[in-house]
Amino acid sequence: MKPFLFVLALLLSLTASFLGAQAPEPPSILVTRQLAEREGLAVGDLVRLAADARGERARTFRIAGTYEPTPNPLRLGLVPREVRLHLPDLLALTRDPDTPAGTERVSSVNVALVDPAEARRFAQDVNARTPGVFARRAAGAAGMGSIFVVLERFHYAIAAVTIAAATVFLLALTIMLVDERRETVGVLRLIGLPARRILVQVLLEGLFIAAAGALFGLALAAAAEGLINRFFQWRYDTALVFVRVTPRVAALSVAIAVPLGAVATVAASWALLRRRALRLARR
Amino acid sequence: MSDAVVAAQRISRVFPMPAGPVVAVCDVTLTVAAGEHIAIRGPSGCGKSTLLHMLGCVDAPSSGTLVFDRRDVSTLDDRARSLLRLRHIGFVFQRFFLLPMLTAAENVELPQAEAGAPKRERRARSLELLAYVGLGARADHRPAQLSGGEMQRVAIARALANRPRLLLADEPTGELDQTTGEQVAALLDRVNADGTALVIVTHDPVLASRARRVLTMRDGRIDHEAAR
Ligand SMILES: Nc1ncnc2c1ncn2[C@@H]1O[C@H](COP(=O)(O)OP(=O)(O)O)[C@@H](O)[C@H]1O
Ligand SMILES: [Mg+2]
Repeated sequence: MKPFLFVLALLLSLTASFLGAQAPEPPSILVTRQLAEREGLAVGDLVRLAADARGERARTFRIAGTYEPTPNPLRLGLVPREVRLHLPDLLALTRDPDTPAGTERVSSVNVALVDPAEARRFAQDVNARTPGVFARRAAGAAGMGSIFVVLERFHYAIAAVTIAAATVFLLALTIMLVDERRETVGVLRLIGLPARRILVQVLLEGLFIAAAGALFGLALAAAAEGLINRFFQWRYDTALVFVRVTPRVAALSVAIAVPLGAVATVAASWALLRRRALRLARR
Repeated sequence: MSDAVVAAQRISRVFPMPAGPVVAVCDVTLTVAAGEHIAIRGPSGCGKSTLLHMLGCVDAPSSGTLVFDRRDVSTLDDRARSLLRLRHIGFVFQRFFLLPMLTAAENVELPQAEAGAPKRERRARSLELLAYVGLGARADHRPAQLSGGEMQRVAIARALANRPRLLLADEPTGELDQTTGEQVAALLDRVNADGTALVIVTHDPVLASRARRVLTMRDGRIDHEAAR
């Protein structure tokens, strides 16, 4: 566990003040990049932090660096005014004046794991080793998870509607395309191409067009991904990733688009081929 | 004139329509011998095209028997009938029906490709056929770059691509002016003289008079036959 593990989001009464050289070197802190930008803070600056809004019992710290906070989609658009302190400094800052050092009560501590999947095992381990400490997976993470479940369902709903609408559009388009080729198909039938032969040809074309379309869509999505992310990251000043075309998403799109395109083409052609070639010769 | 290319025995074609069945062809018996030259005349709507389509295995008779090359056509499925058309029958229509995205040579190559001819062979055959119809210099032109008469000549070259035994032409000069029409007629004569049986549907008496047998149709029947 690294020293800067403990995160406190404070409502800060913050005064960036320049104090002359003091005997003891003030403790170091990290501030978020956004906070540093907003308040014009630089590494090496001295700041005074207090645990309460009136700024009572403020202490002086030296900014040792800035950090990019873990993006939180629930706090989009809010400037993350956060600092990271060493645990003893945090305790000193928040301790009741009547409480002697070393006797503070800490009701809970958040621990971030390198591998979040380890959480359950880690909690069991802690519970087994340290009686009186109750470790569990953070409720916050679970809450966030449920937000994402809702988002994901929302995405599925949008995807379903989009696919349904696109299918109708696709079918209309292929019917138009096939209709345009009515004469060609008629000529091929008169020359002596069996209906099945033409259908296979049309199917292959449909597959090719659908595959090309899917690839084009993926290229478009990949290009849009960068633009959308860059725009919203700029707009909300966050490192949050908004759009991500993963290999799984890409594969799924192709797996849906290609058969759909082929089926639409064949469905559209079927009606045309069932009609007799004679129709053409009659016109 | 030896064996029959196609023999129709009392064939009829009835179109069931909402307002009642339409008898387009009624009880026609006709044999086209190898190398023959037949013209079918008659007023519009008398059933000429319908008869031609049955002879060309595009449409099937409602009754009667049709034997093409000793095979009873009614027993063949779509695939077999398609292949029969592909290999043994050439069609020429009033409205040329060339594929607009293909060049003249490619239009002529298409039936050969479908019949399985190797690439080099069919290219050579296409050029030879285009030269035969007088369009050797236009092989790489698309239909849109050709005149009506030239398109019809390409269509004739395409119809001959697989060396058919029978060439069927439905009003082949219908969309052409007189001079071009005569050129196309002369070309068809030459095709026939070179051994392909030819059946031409036309209401042009001059074109009809080039044939050795002239059938006149009325109300779906062969009304009259004249030989020359
Ligand atoms: N596919 C069809 N459906 C209904 N009626 C048809 C069809 N084809 C032809 N007919 C009818 O059959 C008759 C003969 O048509 P057709 O063979 O085209 O005559 P022609 O070629 O001599 O002008 C006409 O009355 C026509 O309306
Ligand atoms: Mg007609």
